Amino acid sequence: MTFVLFALSLLIFYLTRGLLPPTTALAPYISPRIGPEGKLSLARALGVATDSCPSYAAFVSEESGCIVPLWGQYYGWLTNVLTGNWGFTLLPGITGTATTWHVFFTRFAYTAELSIAAALLTIVIGIPLGIVSATHNNKLPDHASRIISLGGYSVPQFWFGAMLQILFVLYIRLNGFGLLSATGALATACGICFTNPGSITSYTGLPMLDALLSFNVPFFWDALVALILPALTLAITSVGALTRIVRSSMVEVLKQDYILLARSKGLAESVVIYKHALRNAILPAVTVSGLLVAYLLGGAVIVEIVFSWPGVGNASLAAADVLDINFLELYVLVTAVIIVVTNLIVDILYSIVDPRIRY
Amino acid sequence: MKTPSRQDDSGRYADVKYSLYLIRRNPIVLAGFIISIVSVLLALLSPLLVTPGSWIQENLNLRLCWNNGALNWHIANVFDCGGSVYPLGTDEYGRSLSKMIILAIPIDLQIALEVVLFAVVIGVFFGSIAAYQGGIVDEAILRITDVFLAVPGILLAIVLIVVVGRSLPVLTFAVLVTWWPFYVRLVRSQVLSEKEKPYVERLRAMGAGYSRILFRHVVPNSIYPVLVHATLDIGSVILTVSALTFIGLTPSPLLPELGNLANQGIQYLFTAPWLILFPGLTILIISLGFNLLGDGIRDVFDPRLRR
Repeated sequence: MTFVLFALSLLIFYLTRGLLPPTTALAPYISPRIGPEGKLSLARALGVATDSCPSYAAFVSEESGCIVPLWGQYYGWLTNVLTGNWGFTLLPGITGTATTWHVFFTRFAYTAELSIAAALLTIVIGIPLGIVSATHNNKLPDHASRIISLGGYSVPQFWFGAMLQILFVLYIRLNGFGLLSATGALATACGICFTNPGSITSYTGLPMLDALLSFNVPFFWDALVALILPALTLAITSVGALTRIVRSSMVEVLKQDYILLARSKGLAESVVIYKHALRNAILPAVTVSGLLVAYLLGGAVIVEIVFSWPGVGNASLAAADVLDINFLELYVLVTAVIIVVTNLIVDILYSIVDPRIRY
Repeated sequence: MKTPSRQDDSGRYADVKYSLYLIRRNPIVLAGFIISIVSVLLALLSPLLVTPGSWIQENLNLRLCWNNGALNWHIANVFDCGGSVYPLGTDEYGRSLSKMIILAIPIDLQIALEVVLFAVVIGVFFGSIAAYQGGIVDEAILRITDVFLAVPGILLAIVLIVVVGRSLPVLTFAVLVTWWPFYVRLVRSQVLSEKEKPYVERLRAMGAGYSRILFRHVVPNSIYPVLVHATLDIGSVILTVSALTFIGLTPSPLLPELGNLANQGIQYLFTAPWLILFPGLTILIISLGFNLLGDGIRDVFDPRLRR
């Protein structure tokens, strides 16, 4: 676990420091007021420029002996990474001197909200679909579930999201669909959906949870309605893997002798399936949840862009345009930490869920 | 139709014949097979159907127009193309969308094939060595794949493209970087079970060398599931590549690539929906075709379902 994160930091460091000119490393730390002297001392403090470097111009033109060798820069970079010194954001449209760290995590709350909602939806759709598929093996429900999971697996996320938008906004809203059109929130451009973001107190950073905690029901409703389509897009496109795994392990489990015994005892079929079979069939599904998290966090990038969701995925495009490399580094590293920690939790959970496993 | 049984013939020929029969019998696999063949044919014939260089020509008089009477969009103020025939309307630059899609299919398929091919080659090489050698080599290779699997592929690809530059080779490389670790794992798991078989012991006793046993005997015997997975993966690679170009990591906004075409469309979602509908639908059909084929082939070659 530590090794993976360490190796990943080396990889990201090499990508961003080794392949880009040294001035890009400096850019997030520069405040507009400082002159060349200040920039040079900043570069020294960051461990990019050597002490013998005569001037900032020499640093920019990468004169020999002016740039610290790559392996020497890593320590300084890692110190900044670990102490949270990520400099100021270069993202356009953000006034004042907002730090990359602050901007990232404010935005990340929205991504987290979307991913959590999508994960819940995936589980709620995926597991029952897998069960039905297994209990009706090679019959109509099985074929239907196969089509949903393979279709969701094959559909481009941006296209599915766009089609949902057209369907809801253009047709249902035009033809009047009381409940949803009433708020107008399904226009999904978030300038509309988060009508009054200032009116909630930030307790957790997660907008919906904060709205609930500050008893702002209209805000909560707006946020919830705006969340439906993006979360549904993300869930439908990632439900396939879960469904297939639940199905195949359920099919295996249902062939076991103890299921036959349970049935011959005269237990109701629902008890056999949900109490006896599901407990064992769910185990392989638990192991893929790490992969599921990775898939959702990756897919969130596309879905956020299609729905103008104010999360990090959407911001990462702007960051790519202005070469705000610290934002992208932070994005990759935070995502990696989440995935690695999820895998660790899954490993621990696994031994709790399945007492036969001992490490 | 006569049902070929497995006892009809002997050897591999009968096996292939029986597999083909199983594929023919299953309508879903057959559909996948036909879609894949048609998309590959379309890609090969594309230069004959549309002049390859024509995507550079803009025709700004015919931007975003639609004159195919078969489909009514129910949108106010749809611009009519006039007399010319544009079955799928025109795009932002006034080019025929149908022609752009035909030009885009070979580009996407080529990237997908390259990625899968290189991933299989890398996977076979490192995966088989990891499994056969075991010990520290195995551990090292596994840990390296762990690193790449800890980041969502698309994020790593974004960083790579931003840093290295926006071009088709870089796009291919970026997707490949996120794709190979899975194949290493897959080949490794196959070789692990294959290397314990008695014939490997026999080869070793006969004095066969390391690379001969591994690459002439063990790898060919364990490659089947890998190739099946590779077929299934072509669809997923197309999805990833088009997602990357969709978010704008493209060499040129004019380039006829399915994700890139859809990228123009998202800006005109409510005024010219065809611009995202058809490129996306093309991706869906191609990717679904390969997925159906791969899914079916897996069933056909699954020994538990077979015998």
